[in-house]
Amino acid sequence: MSNLNKILLLTLLLIAVIAIIGLVMWNKPHSDVEGAGTIKVSPDDLYNAFVKDSAAAKNMYINKVVEVSGEVSETFTNEQFQTVVLLKTATERVSINCTFEEKEVQVKKGTNIAIKGICDGYNSGDADMDIPGDVVLVRCYLSK
Amino acid sequence: MKKVFFCLLVVLITNVNAYAQKYFTKNGYISFFSKAKLENIKADHNQVLSTLDIGTGDMQFSLLIKGFHFPKATMEEHFNEDYMESDKYPKATFKGKITNLAQIDFTKDGTYNATVSGDLTMHGVTKKNFSTSGTITIKDGKISANSKFNVLLKDHNIKIPKVMASNIAETIEITVTCSYPNKT
Repeated sequence: MSNLNKILLLTLLLIAVIAIIGLVMWNKPHSDVEGAGTIKVSPDDLYNAFVKDSAAAKNMYINKVVEVSGEVSETFTNEQFQTVVLLKTATERVSINCTFEEKEVQVKKGTNIAIKGICDGYNSGDADMDIPGDVVLVRCYLSK
Repeated sequence: MKKVFFCLLVVLITNVNAYAQKYFTKNGYISFFSKAKLENIKADHNQVLSTLDIGTGDMQFSLLIKGFHFPKATMEEHFNEDYMESDKYPKATFKGKITNLAQIDFTKDGTYNATVSGDLTMHGVTKKNFSTSGTITIKDGKISANSKFNVLLKDHNIKIPKVMASNIAETIEITVTCSYPNKT
């Protein structure tokens, strides 16, 4: 094999490796909610963390997989027909707002359940209209 | 005379009751769609907080930027870290008013054209008097709002590096669908 051919082959190999790495990185999966290590927290502790010290709560919970257990105060489907479950907190009209990936989730109002999901943060509501915010969990699963 | 006063009072009270109605949702839907040479990108958001006061026409939307979900995790990362800087500017909001409130009969089923105008804030930049149109639908007494409009990235100082110019559009199409099941 001539030197030129060797260089060509090496260059091609290098390009192939870079392309594969690029492709793998581009297609890396969303963080695994079901199998991930979780932070267990009660609905009230989670809500209070965001209200009292937003910066600390952000560091602790946002983009992390959180497991919250509590009483279901309401369940409905959103505009994309995903199931939404609200978990009660001690603060009136404040919930942990959990959106499931699946369309059909068997959850009954008033029952106690444990939900795993990714914490998106706290939407502070609307002070003018007196609507308190919720802590939002997305890509939720029922924890077994 | 007393009777007249009484009648007036009744009319006033019923009017106040009929109009002092504020509706909201914490699970509204907003999507954005970018159509560029190399790829089309769509992201969904299902935790939009929106309020609607049918007495005054005040309408507000608020969402956490991090709540936009993309088909690919890498897109989500770029969106949050490079373009929207969601740690620095966690929210996008719209605070406005329905400008043709008189043409919408909230007591009668139907689909009504609506125009809204107000302040659109994202990436820390507020565009004043942003105006767009959409529809308000009343079905079995339930209110929902729909709209589709375009946002220019440069209006909000969102910069796309040149190498990504064929992947991301300069004009983003925003779709809004919110139903308002809750009364305050």
